[in-house]
Amino acid sequence: MNYNDFGHLDDEHKTAALGYQIGPKSVITFPSGAQQLPGKGFYEISGLAWSGGGAIKLVEVSTDGGKKWNKAEFKGTPQRMAFTRFGYQWNWDGTETEILSRCTDELGQAQPTRAQLAKYWNKPYDQTFSVPGLDNSVQPWHIAGDGKVTNGFA
Amino acid sequence: MGSHRTLPFAFLLPVLIMGGASALAQGPAFGIGRTPTPDEIKARDISIGPSGEELPAGKGTAKEGAQVYRAKGCAGCHGATGLEGTAPILKSKDPANPDLWARGRILPLRAPFATTVWDYINRAMPLNREGTLTPDEVYSLTAFLLSINNVIPEDQVLDAQSLPKVKMPIGNNYASLPDWKPRTPRLKGYPY
Repeated sequence: MNYNDFGHLDDEHKTAALGYQIGPKSVITFPSGAQQLPGKGFYEISGLAWSGGGAIKLVEVSTDGGKKWNKAEFKGTPQRMAFTRFGYQWNWDGTETEILSRCTDELGQAQPTRAQLAKYWNKPYDQTFSVPGLDNSVQPWHIAGDGKVTNGFA
Repeated sequence: MGSHRTLPFAFLLPVLIMGGASALAQGPAFGIGRTPTPDEIKARDISIGPSGEELPAGKGTAKEGAQVYRAKGCAGCHGATGLEGTAPILKSKDPANPDLWARGRILPLRAPFATTVWDYINRAMPLNREGTLTPDEVYSLTAFLLSINNVIPEDQVLDAQSLPKVKMPIGNNYASLPDWKPRTPRLKGYPY
């Protein structure tokens, strides 16, 4: 569905352009919100990445809230107009943390955090901030000491 | 929108004629699927474009639409006057605001074409009973919703000829489709 179908029009050209195509986007599907890790130890973080701009070139995963980013491995060859499954081997030490993923597509478009977007659009970064166009921001998952996984924004 | 949707249909026809009926729609790798019948294609080809040329026969007024709105349970989700329900509102809460954009994202007010309102009701309403409205009922509901948003007068009769002529208040006053070519960023200079 295009942005101008059914009254979802926009008066601003930039927002319209960003609503017309999804930018590079990735999300970790395991471990993710509402899941439960049984305890510390080895896990394979797994997720999906995609972009309207073309094939995914790079996926990075952070297991420390975004301080250090590690290159993830692709499961199969990334294709245009398709999900790319990625994985990252992780040994969880059992302490509270936040895991995130970000990707870059073949055009060099990079997946932003909400904080980066707020800064770019010169808007306050709080609960009221809404990503212009289709939201392709980084999704953080919070992992509690007891292994409970919840939305990092909640 | 209809004008775009007709494209794949137009491509399909020569294939149907050249091929013969049985084999061509089967996936060669797995041998599944079959050619849709003309009736099956017709049943799915419900898009109505801005010109309204695909509109079926029928007609309706706002007064009839108000009755259909109650009889078909629209009020259950959209509220008695289109404002009180849990579903998207159908009437502006700030109808006198001179800035159309400030009046809210309301389909029968902000849609670029009146035929879009007809198409949406016809394809998507009532929720879970889509496709059960007759063309007359859809014309009536469209007239009712355009009327309560002061887009058309209450006594205007909508049919296949008059509906495409309805001037929506937004006019051409919205951002045009982005100028974009494959393998280029969706917004020049945007890093994300």
